[in-house]
Amino acid sequence: MIAFGSSVTEPGVYSRCAEVGIKRAAERDSEIRATPSIGSIFRSYNALLDAFSEREDLEALVLVHQDAEIVEPDFCAIVRRELADPKVGLVGCVGAIGVRSIAWWEASVTCASFINRYEEHGGGDLPSFSWAWNDAPAYARVGEVETLDGFVLVLSPWVVRNVRFDEGLGKFHGYDLDFCLQVRDAGRKVVTADFRAIHYRQLEMVPDPEDWIDAHVKLADKWDGRMGIGAGAGSWRQRALRAEASADAARLKDHMNELEMEARVRELHRALAETTDSISWRITAPFRRLRRQRPHAPAQVARRSALEPTQ
Amino acid sequence: MIAFGASIQGAEAYQRYAEPGVRLAAEPDSAVYAFASVEPLARTYNLILDAAAERDDLEALVLVHSHTEITDSAFCAKVRSALLDPDVAVVGCAGAMGVAGIAWWEGKVVAGQLEHAYEEFGGGSFPAYSWTSRERPPAEVEAVDGQLLVLSPWAVRNLRFDEALILNYGFEVDFCLQARAAGRRVVVADLRAVYHRSVELVGDLDVWIAAHIELAEKWGDALNGAVADEVGWKRRARRAEADREAQRAIAFSTSLKLDARVLELERDLDEKTSSLSWRLTEPLRALNRWRRER
Repeated sequence: MIAFGSSVTEPGVYSRCAEVGIKRAAERDSEIRATPSIGSIFRSYNALLDAFSEREDLEALVLVHQDAEIVEPDFCAIVRRELADPKVGLVGCVGAIGVRSIAWWEASVTCASFINRYEEHGGGDLPSFSWAWNDAPAYARVGEVETLDGFVLVLSPWVVRNVRFDEGLGKFHGYDLDFCLQVRDAGRKVVTADFRAIHYRQLEMVPDPEDWIDAHVKLADKWDGRMGIGAGAGSWRQRALRAEASADAARLKDHMNELEMEARVRELHRALAETTDSISWRITAPFRRLRRQRPHAPAQVARRSALEPTQ
Repeated sequence: MIAFGASIQGAEAYQRYAEPGVRLAAEPDSAVYAFASVEPLARTYNLILDAAAERDDLEALVLVHSHTEITDSAFCAKVRSALLDPDVAVVGCAGAMGVAGIAWWEGKVVAGQLEHAYEEFGGGSFPAYSWTSRERPPAEVEAVDGQLLVLSPWAVRNLRFDEALILNYGFEVDFCLQARAAGRRVVVADLRAVYHRSVELVGDLDVWIAAHIELAEKWGDALNGAVADEVGWKRRARRAEADREAQRAIAFSTSLKLDARVLELERDLDEKTSSLSWRLTEPLRALNRWRRER
């Protein structure tokens, strides 16, 4: 039996995103548990692991963020294929090698089969590089990695019974990296597989920088160079000065991005104003009003869509 | 006599921006030291200081970046007022407290009526340092912006820009640190100016990072506090590495937001200009363009 679990803080988000994907992926005997969050993702996920660890028929436990949607209809077949190797402990669809911190995306990402779907500014999709394999770059591949993005995590029964999320690390950030490190430290493999998911989230990657920084430091201290985490070239003094300079450079880059955004937005506003203030735009306003009022326009589109499958 | 100096790397930029500003601000007896640039920038500025130091009647030396245009007709009066206090060695038009490196603007910024004029994206202007909150001058600060530096006669005769800082970033922070280490004050006055520069403030961030480290190596404890031992450096490195990666993620998020915002407006513009009514009236607009151009 392949089980699915989610820690839910916003039931509406869960029903719009994770639940849709789980229903698509699950089999008839799959057990699905969407439980309210209990303080931190570490603790909530451990509760799910505890709940499923006694199940003798467990083939895998799939942990899905409430804002993630699995889009692969044959997801369970993929999971079984990956877990056929008993050495595999964890499976995901986004992973990296050469990881040194919770900012795993700063490492060499080998697989990123997901879309970041955002709602800001009219909404849109940001497909990652292996969302469509025929467009993927040469470095895109599935296989063994050092860490996975935790938004969809598949756990083998051995992992469910033997590894736990480290509740001492905080509330959210770094739970996935630390878990992958523990699994690898125990001699099991962490792999990416060929399935895809949609992550519904805002464009701001680090909305809570202080918590994120805190988790980064805690994880670096915990592993202290083991498995490459917290490792770096040079003395501590050299690393401090280099990192301080790079942090300020990143802030400067952010300021430059803001200036560019402001300048480009102003340019587009000017172009829009030139359009809507023009005589030709104003004299044709009645036509556009008339067009918007035509009741049959959307119906035509709907009828054509409905006919398409039979054509 | 209030003198003006400039290190001219691009003669055109000086003619377009700095020179009209100097002409507006200067008094009939003002000397203008417009020197061809010698690398590093500190070297050229020191040549200007050497020349100005010989003037017995020197009241102040104003160092103007080629892309900076002084737009303040009361400039000299404001400079004299700021230098009334003999302890003041450096006056700027923007600066900050809580300076921890060459990125002085990450401190508590004080800035007067400064504009940042850009030419990209159809051109325009922002208030300088618009990304952060800015207090109004006058105020004492730790460092000022090197785009426009006013030096007292004491500073001209007793301090020199550090020519070992060869990367041309952070020379002003270093100069201000020298002035303060000698017991003098650094202040921001309400001097009006326009910075004519790209929205890309720094072209090569790797060079900028190297300059940041260079200044940190030179000033050590004075910039970031004392570190007692290896354990202290490890703490500082851990925190800095975490901060670096957070800031990179934040900068990346901003670029995603930029793309999304621009895409939204482009969609809107596209929708309008691809409408049937817009296309039907194209001959009318073409006729208007033709009439305007005649």
